[in-house]
Amino acid sequence: MIEVKDLQFSYPNQKDRTLHGLDFAIPQGEIFGFLGPSGAGKSTTQKILIGVLKAYQGSVKVMGKEIRDTGPDYFERIGVAFEFPNFYTKFTALENLKLFRSLYSGRTEDPMQLLQQVDLADAAKLRVSELSKGMKMRLNFCRALLNKPEILFLDEPTSGLDPVNAKRMKDLILEKKAAGTTVLITTHNMQAAEELCDRVAFIVDGQIKLIDSPRELKLRQGQKRILVEYRQHGEIIKEEFSLEAIGNNDRFLQLIRENPVETIHSLEAGLEQIFIDITGRQLT
Amino acid sequence: MRTSSAFAFDVRFQWRHGFYGVYLVVCAFYWVLMHFVPEVHKEKVMVLLTFSDPSALGLIFAGGIILLERDQGIHDSLFVTPIRTREYLLAKAGSFSLLSLLSAWVIHLLTMGIPESPFSFSAGILLTSSFMTLLSIGVVARCQTINSFILLSQVYALPFVLPLLGYFNVWESKLFLLLPTEGTLRLLQSAYSTLILRDYLYSLLVLSVWNYAVYVWARRSYEQHILMRVGSGGAGR
Repeated sequence: MIEVKDLQFSYPNQKDRTLHGLDFAIPQGEIFGFLGPSGAGKSTTQKILIGVLKAYQGSVKVMGKEIRDTGPDYFERIGVAFEFPNFYTKFTALENLKLFRSLYSGRTEDPMQLLQQVDLADAAKLRVSELSKGMKMRLNFCRALLNKPEILFLDEPTSGLDPVNAKRMKDLILEKKAAGTTVLITTHNMQAAEELCDRVAFIVDGQIKLIDSPRELKLRQGQKRILVEYRQHGEIIKEEFSLEAIGNNDRFLQLIRENPVETIHSLEAGLEQIFIDITGRQLT
Repeated sequence: MRTSSAFAFDVRFQWRHGFYGVYLVVCAFYWVLMHFVPEVHKEKVMVLLTFSDPSALGLIFAGGIILLERDQGIHDSLFVTPIRTREYLLAKAGSFSLLSLLSAWVIHLLTMGIPESPFSFSAGILLTSSFMTLLSIGVVARCQTINSFILLSQVYALPFVLPLLGYFNVWESKLFLLLPTEGTLRLLQSAYSTLILRDYLYSLLVLSVWNYAVYVWARRSYEQHILMRVGSGGAGR
């Protein structure tokens, strides 16, 4: 679906390159996450992939076509939601969606149905200026879905959302993946990436340091051990065990048989720690 | 289809932001003002009003709207749809020209009655307003703040008011014939006296050529200065 080879980019009037030869490919139906701190080059990469920045070097093919050769019709096939949900504030949610819908010539979704899907049907006739950040983010998501896109580009899709709305947004993204949509997310929210992405790319200083699935990374970089917390004489005691042949570990079996166990955790690494270990950089 | 959608939305946008209401007040003000103008000067003053009004409307309001859209980050949402820059610019020029046309007709009907040549009077208003709107968009694309826009737009517009010197017999020059606003003045005067065919064709030609030239310039300015920033979240962030 997306094939990028030796992608390099410099902004006009800037001496230093922003991207230094990126290589990656994203198959159809995958949720791919670009993770990195601010200024790492992930937004620039996204802007190139959506066809806003065309003066790049290397090759960027999306749906079989080189991006620098595409025109505005490319936007008939993709959906884009930037981090900040911007709309005409004096118009209602429904009026905004109707306007954006009228700019597509292909098949489109019914705006009211989209609003229902994201639980915004009651807010359809409210002006955008009256909506909360969470509601605007969901409206922004609706706008990106209006043209039934084959690829969805989402920039920090859970940014500024409370846990309930963040969960709702993640569920919506997973629904789109289940329907066959390819989703590319740029974020520095490791938890969201961990829960959503089939694969992630760590990007720092305009270079990709690693591409893998969050699960593989966590297993490979973590320790194959478990931590058991149990209570004895009113005191909480922690004990670690190797995962290897855990079913034959007499001490472990005795412990869980004879003591009230409070928690058991496998000690795989967190994505954030893996990012720091591999790139030597914080995600802020 | 997209152009007509964008045009209809721009008209609604202007209506919702109270532009039409403001223009009712402006028209009422001009109507009162014209009562104090002596009969012998009425035609001259009316041409000046109908010349300056669409110019000011296009020049100031179009730029103001673009700055507002940019600060609110609307371009981020708009330019990830299939809309072309051409369609966006034509919708803006068309919607402001419509507002100019309506206000010019209202003022004229209230104070002087029906223009003698309604078509050439209307053509003068429409082509001048679209020219000034496109000029304004070309300027605002290069500005970061409202102050720099107001200053720079006056600098760019200044040469185009020079034909007024000829109109008021202050300074005559054949060079004014090269400016679109010379055509505007001739078309607007057709409201009171018959325009000969040669003048009529010249006016339409000079205004059309300038409209096309400023459209090409505005489009390039827009693509270079505004579209490059799509995805940056608006100037306010």
